[in-house]
Amino acid sequence: MSTPLIQTRGLGKSYPKVHRSSDRLRALGRLLFTGVDRDRISVLRDINLDVHRGESLALIGENGAGKSTLLKLITGVLRPTTGSVSVNGEIGALLELGAGFHPEYSGRDNIAMSATLHGLSGAELRKRLPEIIAFADIGRYIDEPVKHYSSGMVVRLGFAVIASLRPDLLVTDEVLAVGDESFQKKCVRWMTDYLDGGGTLILVSHSMYHAQKLCRHACWLRNGEVEMLGEVFEVTQAYLAFHERKLASAQPVHEVVAAQGLEFHLLELSLNGESRDTPLLLDRDATLCIQVRVHSRDGRVPVVVVGVVRADGTPIYGVSTDMDGCAPYRVGDEEYVGELEFGDLALLPGGYTVRAHPMDPEGVRLFDTMERSFMVRGATRELGFVRLAHRWIHDEAEKAS
Amino acid sequence: MSVVALTLRFFRRTLADRFAGSFSGGLWALFQPLLQLAITSFVFVHVFKARVPGTDTLGYVPFLAIALWPWTAFSEAVLRSTTVIQDNAALIGKVALPREVLVVASVATSFAIHMVGFVAIVLILAVTGQGIHLAGFVPAILLYIPLCALALGFALIFAAVQVFVRDLAQALGQVLSLLMFGAPVYYDRVQLPEQFRGWLDANPFTFYVESFRALLLDHGDISMPALGIAMTTTVAVLWVGHRVFRRLDAHFEDFL
Repeated sequence: MSTPLIQTRGLGKSYPKVHRSSDRLRALGRLLFTGVDRDRISVLRDINLDVHRGESLALIGENGAGKSTLLKLITGVLRPTTGSVSVNGEIGALLELGAGFHPEYSGRDNIAMSATLHGLSGAELRKRLPEIIAFADIGRYIDEPVKHYSSGMVVRLGFAVIASLRPDLLVTDEVLAVGDESFQKKCVRWMTDYLDGGGTLILVSHSMYHAQKLCRHACWLRNGEVEMLGEVFEVTQAYLAFHERKLASAQPVHEVVAAQGLEFHLLELSLNGESRDTPLLLDRDATLCIQVRVHSRDGRVPVVVVGVVRADGTPIYGVSTDMDGCAPYRVGDEEYVGELEFGDLALLPGGYTVRAHPMDPEGVRLFDTMERSFMVRGATRELGFVRLAHRWIHDEAEKAS
Repeated sequence: MSVVALTLRFFRRTLADRFAGSFSGGLWALFQPLLQLAITSFVFVHVFKARVPGTDTLGYVPFLAIALWPWTAFSEAVLRSTTVIQDNAALIGKVALPREVLVVASVATSFAIHMVGFVAIVLILAVTGQGIHLAGFVPAILLYIPLCALALGFALIFAAVQVFVRDLAQALGQVLSLLMFGAPVYYDRVQLPEQFRGWLDANPFTFYVESFRALLLDHGDISMPALGIAMTTTVAVLWVGHRVFRRLDAHFEDFL
């Protein structure tokens, strides 16, 4: 295996706690004489990441998770506090809007500075300048100071420089979304070209759509640590499911009825024979078998209700035995089992919860509640929760037939 | 990354900044020293009636001018470079670059501007027959090399420390003017009471003032031990500056 383009080992970053100006003096003294400064807030810890040539990695995570810090460490803007970063190639970074541009200088001048910062010599710059200006395509504004630019023009300028440099690794975020339609098309065309030509990409994104579209791998950062690293679909789904759970837990929890002693209560809810608390992992189109054991105090046959909800509580589908004209089967004097099978589960990848309730035989009163969560794995860019049966019409003739 | 290309780029930018918005642009670099020379000669010769002790052939104006321009280059280079890291905080926080480049470009800019002034002054003094020894012209220009290196050494130290302790630039203005009056710029060593003369040698700039005068005005001479000490000092300051800057460099963005 070739050496990775980017390799980080035990990478960490912390910032000094500077509240008063005397802290600055103390920090200076410590740094000068011992080279270390202890009193610090850690923002990134123990990151081990390999990015190989030709790879495309999405960096996801909440605000403050350490994404920008990690990028700054990779691009060399920041120096690591602990661990190391090794880079075996040229990095082009296109992050914040107009980073590195001086507002008082003309576009032409800023191109020159930016290109020099990326290591282009004077002769090379002169050769490529027309090409860069043509790519930016901002007309006479090229000789105006950058402070008079619209945000779209700033992005055009920044992207034009990077595009002409063709770095080994491109680090960017959704800053490109600022450009107008035609420029975005140009960017996407260039990016696809770049990736096809063996370019490497690290994309910071809050849009799972973009992450899945452009990247093959993803790294989920949480509170300064890698929460999950792997295939883009798996990581983004876990990330979304995490957010849905977080949202759901922020809402008031239903009061669990003290069910014992009631006419009906639940004994067990198992998914595919598993009744553990950990979420069950399913592949797409797998079969999900739900088994609900109900205790019936008076031995009457209960109605069993089963529902599937998204991890955030959004209902997807619910059904009861009496709706389908069925009944749970009896396994003991006071015990019944409702068993339900979903073959070829049409759910799209993500986190879900199964909810079960017993009802009285009349189907009027609802008693207990039990929940089990499961995750559907898989790679897809379809949107929503469920795949609806569908087919695309290919031509008029087929439509007619 | 091509450090030289980058330094040149920043050098050009700082130079442009210096004259941005002025009508005459670069011409100002020539005009300013002439104006300054006219004013100082009026004040010192006609108001203070200053004269150089022990000589009748050497006027006070060349005596002062030959010392004042190197000093201005030196002090301005140090003073302006001290805040250069702080002033470029926006750039440093966003773009990876070797930060020494900013300091080097800033020092180089000050020296470039004032050396142009120096050359112009020397030529004018020579043409107007003020007793300039043109044979000493090339060595005098060469003398700017260690002076510039000395300024760079100090600039590296101060620019790095300024990031942490913002009072430095304020204090430095005072220290520099003390240093100027503590060197024989406006006066001659012999004008000082006997017991204070030795103190002048503690000032690293003294050597340069006296050497410029020795080379261009044939006033006094350069002693070999003094030259040796000056060169050692320059190398030492540059080395310390480099070490301090390297050590603090990695932590700049934490404190900017």
